[in-house]
Formats: sequence, structure tokens, C-alpha cells
Amino acid sequence: MTALPPPTTAVLPPPSAGPEQQGMISVREVSKFFGSVVAVSDVSFSISAGVTALLGPNGAGKSTLFRIMCGLTPPSRGTVEVLGADPRTDRAVRGRLSLVPQQDALFDHLDALQMVTVSAQGHGVHEPTDAAMQALAHVELSDVGSKPVGQFSKGMRQRVKVACALVNDPEVLILDEPLTGLDPVQRRNMIALFHRLGDEGRCVLVSSHVLDEVARLGSRVLVIAQGRLIASGDYHDLRGLMDDRPLRIRIGTSDPRRLATALVDRELITALSLDANHVTVDTNDADAIGRRLAPLARDLGVRLTEVHPLDDDLESVFRYLVEGR
Amino acid sequence: MSSTTHIDQRPANHRSVPPTTALALAYRVVLAQLTSRGRIVALTALALVSTVAGFALGQADADLEAGVRLISGLGFAVVIPVVSLVFGGAAIGDLREDKTLVYLWLRPMDRWPIVVGAFLAAVTLTAPITLIPVIAAAVLAGSGGGLVAATVIAGLVAVVAYCAVFTLLGVALRRFIVWGLAYVLIWEGFIALGGAGVARFAIRKYTRSIIVDRTGIDLNLADFSQTTGIVVPLVAAAVALAVASWQLARQDID
Repeated sequence: MTALPPPTTAVLPPPSAGPEQQGMISVREVSKFFGSVVAVSDVSFSISAGVTALLGPNGAGKSTLFRIMCGLTPPSRGTVEVLGADPRTDRAVRGRLSLVPQQDALFDHLDALQMVTVSAQGHGVHEPTDAAMQALAHVELSDVGSKPVGQFSKGMRQRVKVACALVNDPEVLILDEPLTGLDPVQRRNMIALFHRLGDEGRCVLVSSHVLDEVARLGSRVLVIAQGRLIASGDYHDLRGLMDDRPLRIRIGTSDPRRLATALVDRELITALSLDANHVTVDTNDADAIGRRLAPLARDLGVRLTEVHPLDDDLESVFRYLVEGR
Repeated sequence: MSSTTHIDQRPANHRSVPPTTALALAYRVVLAQLTSRGRIVALTALALVSTVAGFALGQADADLEAGVRLISGLGFAVVIPVVSLVFGGAAIGDLREDKTLVYLWLRPMDRWPIVVGAFLAAVTLTAPITLIPVIAAAVLAGSGGGLVAATVIAGLVAVVAYCAVFTLLGVALRRFIVWGLAYVLIWEGFIALGGAGVARFAIRKYTRSIIVDRTGIDLNLADFSQTTGIVVPLVAAAVALAVASWQLARQDID
């Protein structure tokens, strides 16, 4: 590919909530190794009440970080405090936090009410059956009858897991990909529930690898990739960065050379390559390409057969955030 | 979706679970998890082999020694250890493997009630499935009340000891079935027969000692008193459950 003058890159501000701040969850210089594999590397942040989204591609270390925050596995280095206590060793704090695990695991022989009641009893909740019915109402599963959860759809199982996490009225709620398997209406309702919980003063931490989900989850975002916290801040800053980042687009056309020359003349692209029927371009302004490409082709008298973004996936977004390319 | 209780309105005294409540919860959950029809049918069929063998022995008017060797060689060498391994190992091991252990682990409760509750669930299933057929075999063999009484005592000791040890295996090892079978078939079946020293670490040596003590029939590597044959396996069971509780508190949970 022929490189034109290099694009300027910008990344979100580095994680700003440092170890000196005491939140409901405080993660200080945490690393986790599995043999020679580094799952989490020197992560520090602190979060308080409200909804915070943890965004990262699959395999970024989100679930490992969540397991550390719940005490399910100890950090190899660093410290974690939830509500001022070590969740790994402090029994009391486990009654004040809840986790919706990513894995699709439930006691499949139980029905929904029994499953959530077991969760309530495990937390020592008074009147566990009533609490379970209330939690099931929160996720709109009051009327599912006595069918075992093993026969539930993925979305229903996901909601049972959320009900299990709500039943102890937690102050800290950690949800690992909780929207997976939900239909659009259920997603909207679930996100509204998370916001209500956050507005009530709870710390709600939700992970996702889907950008559009994060957009609706809230304005506070932690971005993790390759085990490292690479950015934190307001979602709108992140979104702006996404829109401004360089994008590679393949354009099918009847005259690639002529179209490419015109795009360079108008300073719409930063790099290009040609073959018989395509011109592949890098641009810092995908919106401008979108607006001006068709009129330009019409003016030049060339035919467009394809306009296809090549790196509009989440992996490329993270590559850009991590490496600036 | 309806709104939840505001954080400030929540009761502050629901943060800790008493051990008895935790134990009862773990017992109920694990018992239900272990109770699958296929598993129970298969293991009952295995245990009934000893009953059929005892019946055949009785029909042949075999002597006391033949009855003792049958109960010791089939009931206490295969039926009780294997059934205990399936239920004891799976008590925590299955929860860990299907990733539902988090629903007990991430709760404001001690670890030992989880382990003890799971162990008791395993005993609840193992005892009737193994002891009824094996004791029936002792009765049907027609070798007299001494063998029956010995089978009852040694059977109870064996079920408790094996279930506890295999509960520990289920907590500590991912391939608990493989390691458990290796213990039953290789360690107890061959290595422990090689000398008194290694045999001290075989539960079977103690249960054989109980049978020998009560029937007077001489069996290889069964030279402990009945008291030792009862006390040592039960102490070993308590130690195994303590280690399992310690291990559960320290291991990674998926």
C-alpha cells in the first residue's frame, strides 16, 4: 500500500482513576499470570456508585479481572478491595456483592424460583422465597412456572442469573456479559434495570465486547485489551475517537486509477492500493468518504460496484486504541 | 422491570450464613445434583452383583471363609469403593466442573459446611446403594451372624471413609475419577498387598481387619484390632474433610 502523509492518532486519556482514590471497588496494580500467560497486567482503577462499563474484546482479560474482583481467584500481584475489604478472604463482603458469571451454568434440575431461592438462602436473606419472587419480578420471570431452568432458553437463563445476583440486594453488582442471548426488548429492559440500580447508589460494573451495548450502558467506560487497562473515561470521548480513527475501505469501481487520483487530489485518503477492479484506501474521515464518494464517481463518470469497510470490527478498534494504528 | 429496594432501606443483618444453614443448603443442592436416574440404576446394578454372588454361594452351601472372601473381595474391594468414588468425587467435583460451584462459594459462609454438606449427600446415596446389597449378600451366603455383623460395621466405616477421601479428591483434582480408580484398583488392589507399611494407607486394610476380628477368618494384610479398624478410617475421614475445606477456601473458582 502506498503511504500518504501519516495520520495523526489520538487515544483516550490514560486511566485516570488511580490507586489513590477510594471507591466501592479499588483495583491497585493488579496482575494475573497463568503460567507464562499474562491474563491481566498492572491494572489500576477505582469505581464508585453508578453504572460503569468494562469494554474489551474476547480474551482481553475481562472475566479474569471480574473473578479477581469477586475473590474467585487471587491476583498474582497487586491488591483488590471491594467495599474496603478483600473479597478473597473477607466473608462478610461476599454478602454485599453479587456476580453474574459469564458461563451459562445453573442448577439445571431446579425451577427458576428454586434456583433464586437457593441463591437467597446462600446469602442468608430473610424470607428467601419472597426475596426470590421479587428478584424474578425484576427480570420479568414471575410467571415461568415449575419448568426446570435446564429447559430454559439462553435469554431466560441469563435473566435467572441476574435474578440470583439481585436477590441479596447487593451494594456491588458485577455482571459479565449479561446481555448475551437477550432479545432487543429484554436488553433494553435489562439496561434500564442496571441504570436504576446504579441510580440507587449501587456500584454496577458491566462487561461487554459490543460497542453499541456499551453506548447504552452508561457514560463511564473502562477499556481493557490484552490484559491491560488502556483507557478510561467518558463513553462519548471513546465514540468520538472511534469515528475519527483511520479506516480502511475497499471500493470496487470500473476505473480504480482515476477514482484514486481524484480521492488523493481532494485529500480524502491517507494511503491507497490498486488492483484491476478495486481501490483500497485508508482515510481519517470516513464520513466525508461516505458523503462525497458517490457524487465524485458520478462526476468522473466511473461506476461504483462496492464500498466495503475492511476494519470496522471491534478488534480493529482496540488495535487502534492500543497501538495507534 | 420493577424497581428494587433502595440501598439505604436494606436490612443490615443478612450478611452472614450460620454453618448449620450453610451445611443444610449444600446438602440439599448436592444431593439433588447427584441424584440422576442413570447413575443410580447403574451403580445399584453393580452393587447387586454382590447380592447375586452371595445368593449363589448360599445355594452351594459354602463355608464361612468363602463368604468372608466374597464380601471382602467384591463388596469391600469393588462395590463400596467404586460407588463411593462416583458420589464422593462428584459431590464437589461435578459442581466445579459444570461451573455451578460459584453459587455456593461466593456466599457469606464458611467453607467447611459446604464440604461437609456435600460429603453427607454422597453418604446419603452411597450407603443404601452399597450396604443393602452387600449386607444382603452376607445374609444370603448363609455364613452366620458374625459375617453379617462384621459387614454392617465395616460397611459403615468404609462408606464414611471412602466418601470423605473421594470428596477431597473431587475438591483437589480435576480428574478425580481417574485418580480415585487408580487408588482403588492400583494402590489398594496391588501396591498395598506388597507390605504392611504401604497397606497402612489403604482403607481396605482396616475394613478387612474388622471382618477378620469378628469372624476369625484369616485374610492377608488384616492384622489390626477392630477398634483400630474403626477409629483410623474415621480419623482419616475427618482429616480428609478438613483438608478439603482448607483446599476449597484457597482454590480458584470458575
